[in-house]
Amino acid sequence: MSCSNLTMLVSSKPSLSDTTSLSFRSSLSPFQLPSSPAANNPSRSSSVTPIHCGLRELRTRIESVKNTQKITEAMKLVAAAKVRRAQEAVVNGRPFSETLVEVLYNINEQLQTDDVDAPLTKVRPVKKVALVVVTGDRGLCGGFNNYLIKKAEARIADLKQLGIDYTIISVGKKGNSYFLRRPYIPVDRFLDKGGLPTAKEAQAIADDVFSLFVSEEVDKVELLYTKFVSLVKSEPVIHTLLPLSPKGEICDVNGVCVDAAEDEFFRLTTREGKLTVERGVSRTATTDFSPILQFEQDPVQILDALLPLYLNSQILKALQESLASELAARMSAMSNATDNASELKKSLSMVYNRQRQAKITGEILEIVAGADALT
Amino acid sequence: MILSLCVLTPNRIVWDSEVKEIILSTNSGQIGVLPNHAPIATAIDIGILRIRLNDQWLTMALMGGFARIGNNEVTVLVNDAEKGSDIDPQEAQQTLEIAEANLRKAEGKRQIIEANLALRRARARVEAINVIS
Repeated sequence: MSCSNLTMLVSSKPSLSDTTSLSFRSSLSPFQLPSSPAANNPSRSSSVTPIHCGLRELRTRIESVKNTQKITEAMKLVAAAKVRRAQEAVVNGRPFSETLVEVLYNINEQLQTDDVDAPLTKVRPVKKVALVVVTGDRGLCGGFNNYLIKKAEARIADLKQLGIDYTIISVGKKGNSYFLRRPYIPVDRFLDKGGLPTAKEAQAIADDVFSLFVSEEVDKVELLYTKFVSLVKSEPVIHTLLPLSPKGEICDVNGVCVDAAEDEFFRLTTREGKLTVERGVSRTATTDFSPILQFEQDPVQILDALLPLYLNSQILKALQESLASELAARMSAMSNATDNASELKKSLSMVYNRQRQAKITGEILEIVAGADALT
Repeated sequence: MILSLCVLTPNRIVWDSEVKEIILSTNSGQIGVLPNHAPIATAIDIGILRIRLNDQWLTMALMGGFARIGNNEVTVLVNDAEKGSDIDPQEAQQTLEIAEANLRKAEGKRQIIEANLALRRARARVEAINVIS
């Protein structure tokens, strides 16, 4: 088709070093992608180059843009509905995490004086790190998957520089296909998550991470996921998963800081706010145990039973947040696409009407000239 | 006196109502809990939980966790819980056989840890079906 240089965007993304990483990118390549993020620039295509093509082509183009707009609109609505479901899932898990935090807090109080020695809290000199990378299952959600993969790449480069070995546990189809295409990155396992994250998926990841850590194959586990900040903002974060430290601070034995500066330590006494536009961090009320409470087993053993639960709920939370961010990203990408489509439709119909008018004017002139010539 | 039992998993609340008696499999063996039990905190092994409602016994497979008993309230925090009546016997039996086979051919420390966990989970599920009496 002769009309080129039109920016019909499904989503715009900052170009990766490697353009093959996203499947739908190639289908868009005939169009020019502007480099600015679409999120904060909805009115951008007013200065596009003129459209040169015939009336018939214009008509088909308008028709196809209309269809695309319908699709993007529908996808936006679907994503919005799913965000609600994701929100409900978080709310359902609330009683569990609240009680867990409360109990952990209390047991930690009791153990403050003891020397805790649970396998999951053991800090070893870091020789190998496992990175759990949580990506989405689908594309068409703006830069969501790209940002996370870039973050993972940056982390890998960091680790390489420090001379630390690493392995990847990839969760989600997009990440899987990315790492499959790069055989030089060691991947321990590919995991799929389908639909809403449940405890089963979290358990699968936790089992894998647990056995890697306990068998001393890796000395540290980091979780890379997208944190849900609000419906329009989410950011990829790195979160230290293991070793769990009841005190919340991890310092390497060698004195080398392995944690990235933005690494987030978990806090045992706080929990994440709900998935609203604001992300509040509220403190759970930590009522004391009744003083006569007895421990059936050694407190250390009880901690041993609690920490895997905590690990699981951490992973589940990360999965839920990642899903919520993906859906939110898709929502905004699709609403941008819908806006772009309507703008494009408008400019195309304008050109179409002008050309049609020009054609009619030309025809009238011809008839008048012909009539003139006869008389 | 009536005991109120609350079984929580990360996904949902599995059980939240009053019961007459429960039998928990803890890390140090099974314990029975009747109303007015002394307040204790205990770790729960992968195993079954038996619940008595009047004269009826129910079983539930618990996938490891923690329980807090006190004030006639029992709070059980577990990774996953399934009611015995919700488990498909054939599927559970198959899973058990697969887990057993996996353990036999597991090599290396890590695989053995994984296979053992899977086997214990599968066994708990099968027990939860068979104990119904």
